[in-house]
Amino acid sequence: MRLFLLVFTCAGSLWAQDLAGIGVHGFVSQGFLFSSRNNYLSMKSSDGSPQWTDGAVSISDSLADNLRVGIQLHMYQLGEFGGSNVQVDWASGDYRVKDHFGIRAGKVKTVWGLFNDSQDVDAIFLWILLPQGSYSIDHKSFYLAHVGGDVYGDISLGKRTGKLHYDGYAGQATVDLNDGYIKQFAESGLVFTSSLGGKTYGGDLQWETPLKGLTIGSSGNMQAVDGTAPAGSIHSPAKLVPSMYARFSRGKVYFAAEYDRIPIHATVTIGSAVIPFVVDGRSWFVMGSYRLRKNVQLGSYYSHYVNKSLDTTQPANYSKDWVVSGRYDFNAYVYAKIEGHFLHGTGLGYYGSTNPNGLAPNSKMLAAKIGFSF
Amino acid sequence: MSKARCLILLLGSLGSWSVARAQDVLVVANKGVQISEISDADLRAIFMGTRTRFADGSHAVPVTLKGGPVHEVFLKNHVGESPEEFRAQWRKEIFTGQGAMPKAFDSESALIEYVAATPGAVGYVSRISSQDGVQSLVVVK
Repeated sequence: MRLFLLVFTCAGSLWAQDLAGIGVHGFVSQGFLFSSRNNYLSMKSSDGSPQWTDGAVSISDSLADNLRVGIQLHMYQLGEFGGSNVQVDWASGDYRVKDHFGIRAGKVKTVWGLFNDSQDVDAIFLWILLPQGSYSIDHKSFYLAHVGGDVYGDISLGKRTGKLHYDGYAGQATVDLNDGYIKQFAESGLVFTSSLGGKTYGGDLQWETPLKGLTIGSSGNMQAVDGTAPAGSIHSPAKLVPSMYARFSRGKVYFAAEYDRIPIHATVTIGSAVIPFVVDGRSWFVMGSYRLRKNVQLGSYYSHYVNKSLDTTQPANYSKDWVVSGRYDFNAYVYAKIEGHFLHGTGLGYYGSTNPNGLAPNSKMLAAKIGFSF
Repeated sequence: MSKARCLILLLGSLGSWSVARAQDVLVVANKGVQISEISDADLRAIFMGTRTRFADGSHAVPVTLKGGPVHEVFLKNHVGESPEEFRAQWRKEIFTGQGAMPKAFDSESALIEYVAATPGAVGYVSRISSQDGVQSLVVVK
């Protein structure tokens, strides 16, 4: 909140900077949540909570025509998650040998589905919360980036067949100690004091079709997780996490849809007890938006998540969310958003410690955000 | 002539002026670029960052205006994006570490000056003069 106020009051002098070829950009956003019944995302949202601040600064420079280096520092506070510590969001060198082949290495954002790599860049979305079945904001630190390398490129298929964009990667991903997974384990008695993670690899293939504005794509990610806590450990072998998606964007109209499957077959050991931890998450969403005026955008989406490994009639094992959103851009740098959520089920985003009296199966939520980007 | 007819003629002339203005957008490049024409598809790819070279193999450096009708017409006609979507696309590239936004200028004269001095630079303006030191590229569909 203090970071947001500081940057917001300095807005007049913080336009995008180009210092002798070095590009400096940044964003700050401040959110507010008010929910009708349950407390969401570890906040006291039923009382109304402003515990949601994001800020980042990126610096990049082109060392040669096809060689670029950069770093982005990121700070976020989301209820009990994140914190005041500044983290390296990404830091990479990018060597684009040809248009059809480039290499990116360092800490690199992980491309998966429509939004994984950009899910924390609030300024580019109409939505305040992305569909949580696919992009759960309290678990984002684990999925956002990997330390390793990517190969990527664009391949033209000709005027009548469109273009392909590919990205393949391998590396190591870690779970932030202030992440939602860590809090969930802690509520089960497994308190991690050192970060956990594992090897990750995968890829994404997008086809920009000859139909103007239509892109179809598919991603796959393999992710292993191992970690040791004073009271036990977790071992999760790598499983394929697939995603299939389509996006249509032309003029004032935007539509997108995605289907994801998130299987987890982990073993949690606490003392002498060995507990299987199995999740078969299936999620999908459809969304659409329309730009009424240059600075006004309205839209809606439906997000659906079920854990097929458990009884899907129980609210704790599904989450269905109808959402309506609006965004107003004051100018190219400052915007405000408002969003209504109609939540059914409690499978995502809730924690026992902030809901000690249990959870109501259905709830409503109002989210608002103001942001600044340069 | 009635006031109503005057108004209609005035509105008509305003309309044709804006159409003429829309057709006035010129794609300009540094004189070192060894091409005389460029396709809409290549322009879009260069300005969206998915292509980094011209057809002659030389490195392309796209530059833009910060706003205004020429900026809007260029993006609509040759890139297929509104200024808002164009900005959002580039912000995604910047904040995910996948690209660097094209340099943007407040005025056409500043853009022309940069294009004239920078090898591979390509941009757009409403008009040029023979003293500007840039070449205009024919855009083919």
